[in-house]
Amino acid sequence: MNARTALRLGCLAGVSALLLTACSGGAAGGDDASDPITVGISLPLTGDFSEPGKGVQRGYEAWAAAVNATGGLLGRQVELRILDDQSNADRVVADYESLIAQDQVDLVFGPFSTRLVVPSARVAQEYEMLFVEPAGAAAEVFEQGFDNLFYAAPAIADDHYNHLAETIIAMPDGQRPQTAAYAAMDDPFAQGTAYGLKAKLEAAGIRTVVDEVYPPNTTDFSSIAAQIADSQADIVVGGTQYQDAVNLIVALRQLAYQPKLAAFSTAPTNPEFAEAIGGGTEGILSPTGYTPEAPYPSNVDFVQRYTAQFGNPPTEDEANAYTTGQVVAAAVQAVGCAEQGECQQRLIDWLRTNTVDTVVGPLSWDAQGRPQSAHLIQQYVDGGIRIVLPQDTAEAEFAYPKATW
Amino acid sequence: MRNVFEGRASSWVALLVGAAALLSFPIWSPNPYITSAGVVVLSYAVLSTSWNFVGGFTGYMSLGHAAWFGLGAYGTGLLIARAGVPAFLALGLAGVIVAVLAVPIGIAALRVRGASFVIVSIALVLVLLLVFQSWRDFTGGSEGLVVPRPFPDLSRPEHHVVFFYLFAVLLGLALLAWWTIDRSRFGLGLKAIREDEDKAQSLGVPTFAYKLVAFVVSATFTALGGGLYALWFGDLDPIFQFSILIGSYMVLMALLGGVRHLFGPVLGALVVGVAIEYFKVSYGDTQFHLVATGLLLAVVVLFMPDGVIPAVQGLLARFRPQQSSIREVSAAELKEEVKL
Amino acid sequence: MSGSLLFQSLVLGILLGGLYALLAAGLTLYFGVMRVVMIAHAAFLVLAAYLAWDVHERFGVDPLLSLVVTVPLFFLAGVGFQRLLIARLRPASVTMMSVLLTFAVALVIEGALGFVYSGTQRRVQLSYSAASIEVLGAQVAVVKLIAFGLAAFSLLALYLLLTRSRFGQALRATIQHPQAARLIGIDTDRVAGYGFGLGLATAAIGGTALSLDSTIYPSLHWHWIGPLMAIIVVGGLGSIPGAAIAAMVLGIVQSLLQLPLGTTWAQTVFYLALFATLLVRPQGFFGGRLAQRF
Repeated sequence: MNARTALRLGCLAGVSALLLTACSGGAAGGDDASDPITVGISLPLTGDFSEPGKGVQRGYEAWAAAVNATGGLLGRQVELRILDDQSNADRVVADYESLIAQDQVDLVFGPFSTRLVVPSARVAQEYEMLFVEPAGAAAEVFEQGFDNLFYAAPAIADDHYNHLAETIIAMPDGQRPQTAAYAAMDDPFAQGTAYGLKAKLEAAGIRTVVDEVYPPNTTDFSSIAAQIADSQADIVVGGTQYQDAVNLIVALRQLAYQPKLAAFSTAPTNPEFAEAIGGGTEGILSPTGYTPEAPYPSNVDFVQRYTAQFGNPPTEDEANAYTTGQVVAAAVQAVGCAEQGECQQRLIDWLRTNTVDTVVGPLSWDAQGRPQSAHLIQQYVDGGIRIVLPQDTAEAEFAYPKATW
Repeated sequence: MRNVFEGRASSWVALLVGAAALLSFPIWSPNPYITSAGVVVLSYAVLSTSWNFVGGFTGYMSLGHAAWFGLGAYGTGLLIARAGVPAFLALGLAGVIVAVLAVPIGIAALRVRGASFVIVSIALVLVLLLVFQSWRDFTGGSEGLVVPRPFPDLSRPEHHVVFFYLFAVLLGLALLAWWTIDRSRFGLGLKAIREDEDKAQSLGVPTFAYKLVAFVVSATFTALGGGLYALWFGDLDPIFQFSILIGSYMVLMALLGGVRHLFGPVLGALVVGVAIEYFKVSYGDTQFHLVATGLLLAVVVLFMPDGVIPAVQGLLARFRPQQSSIREVSAAELKEEVKL
Repeated sequence: MSGSLLFQSLVLGILLGGLYALLAAGLTLYFGVMRVVMIAHAAFLVLAAYLAWDVHERFGVDPLLSLVVTVPLFFLAGVGFQRLLIARLRPASVTMMSVLLTFAVALVIEGALGFVYSGTQRRVQLSYSAASIEVLGAQVAVVKLIAFGLAAFSLLALYLLLTRSRFGQALRATIQHPQAARLIGIDTDRVAGYGFGLGLATAAIGGTALSLDSTIYPSLHWHWIGPLMAIIVVGGLGSIPGAAIAAMVLGIVQSLLQLPLGTTWAQTVFYLALFATLLVRPQGFFGGRLAQRF
């Protein structure tokens, strides 16, 4: 260390100070009636969750377009400010911090994936902001003591398979499956879905013969598939996202394993699923919180607008994001304010005690923010995915045992 | 050694100005977000300075220092969450635990020269990632671990300010330790290892013991940085704590600033940390930051392996009366002849 | 646990070990000729897999056809990489600095792949991806068999090239003693360049084989580079047969350990083997003089 070095360091500190100050310019703020309402959002537009992240982004954009086309919120236009968190917890926290503290946004919407919801909800909580989120379905999200959090979908992960569990348990003795194999991604959401079903089936006496958890980026499923095939389990349940389900199914088919029932979360509802596994989808089950065919009035409007804007009907990610917008908008309209400060607490209090009509049906929440509805069960029937459970909304008959794949 | 007194005085002034600018940062920071970005940059400075105990003195480039960062963070978090240890006691204990762990790992890693050492350092991060993901009963697995706030009564902006100063203290300690070693006989031995390990050994430097001590000190400071980060950030996830990228940032920052200089890593952390923060906010929606990090690292390795400080010094030195250099390039050239 | 499951896992382990062996051989070549630990090897592997996927997606042809382009391309890239980048490093610190340099290249490739192809996981969809043949009671997927065949064939070709050709002799001489090789008139710089090219060509072949039966995504290379580096240390840095044997053994052990331990814990076998090797026999189990020095 010498004089020149030290001097240069001092200069650098000064320069970086200037740079940081410069970045902080252009803060929004002000709640003039003519000013737009700014909504701060951080989404994984790159990284591990970029695909669903972009879906959520489209849903938010569709919501903003719909609101702005119909006169805005409280007579003000809505403006989204979306940052990219690269599927990274450090970033998501920094993003919400900068949106709330620096950009002074009026409202915040949640990010995607359970991993990112908890840290970001804490930021929102500490700045006393309402936090409605479209994607943190895992049970532990609601066990962190947040009082500002609401999940904008019908049910938390552990309850996704409830209708299927009831149906299996109600089967007559000779028909009912005896053994089950579970494979779940080591991800709070994916695992939650599979283990929710596992707990219910085990309680009903259906034996677990394989229970495998694999890391999120597993690409080789041959060993897990070998164990499932070797166990000859009657049913196979995958707590999956997308690609892992495709890989697991292909690996199971490579081993010529034929279960009587196969249920996978998330993946089968993807439009590319059938092509990806190379046919043989018949009979595969999946829970879903959303269907474009749902008759709720706002959904008809949503599907129409969305299809016009993006060229294809929305899927669950888009719908959950749109639902988030609807939930916050309902609270804003009822309370009559949208800004930081004590307004946020009024929004929270209103949602705590009211039911909101959304594209996924009417939603209400318990004190921890858990939604109080249930997921639908879909099945591939004649090449298309149809709702089979519960019976009162079914579009097709529940098929068991499933056709061979 | 010309102008010793003049040089020393101006360097003290510069140091004081730098320290004052740093310590007053939370006061003139325009909003809590900028303060939190300052905490992140300061934590980078702590990490890259800690890395430099091994990288700078011995020339052993560890790409896996994220392992110590993660162990410190998880150690602190687990002691608080599972054993109910008070926050800052847990931080200290985590530092001790990591220091103890670093001994056998250091013995395995340092038995071999360069290549294997780097391989071990990367492997360490990858294996710890696997362990912390899989051992869910203890670590919380991929659901992560929530570390309770040490100061629950502080508002979030106040929390940032407090941790800014805590990181500043840790940085001060790390710099002081580096400075002390740099001027000691021990430091001289380490630098001899960097220049030529075989010769150092034949001259009677206990190379293995020296390397091991430097390694343990480095791991411990990194772990303390990780533990403080855990207390500040609150949410730990194996994927983000045991990340190769964090390890590579440490190397990049230290190399960029200059590994032979006390303030080199701090300078690198300032430049890289501010750049990362700025680029991620401005151009976040591409993978460009990875490419930029990679290119920057490649440029530093290829064109200024001794860092910016010597590169600029070299440039300035051309306009001054020539000083005689006895070490910087000549050792490398010497070795070149021996090797080929 | 039944015997057939054990046998099935053994077969899967051998198939996996073949791919590891080919890739580890490439890593060993770089280390042998230049003392370079090529962190970017797995990134090139993933790059080749992406190119195979892209060729399949764009032109609808079999991904194996992409080899015609990628193998020469990667060979040239390898030669260029050695001549233009590695050769610039100071010899005194080449091992350390090359690690950083190749690490930087890996980051650039990962970022560029994410930039061009996005972070979405990709998989080649083949008409025969779910097909399998029964071998002694074990179901062996056709795609895995093709991948293994490709790896085994390339490894054999590499072996013959190194042992039976003049170039192979020159290359081995360069690995064993660069100064002596130069004294007897071998152009070690050129040989080192070709060695690098060959190493990268193995990544092209490995990547294509990988794309047949695996999902690919930009950060996948971290998943491969760890085990591969463990393999070359266990095998003894610089020893190609050592790397191949270590790859096969560890591949099989990993596959068998997945049965009782699950996929995550089974992966740690590579790192345990690495640490154990360094504690017990730092030069690796098949390495000689070379490994000890580095």
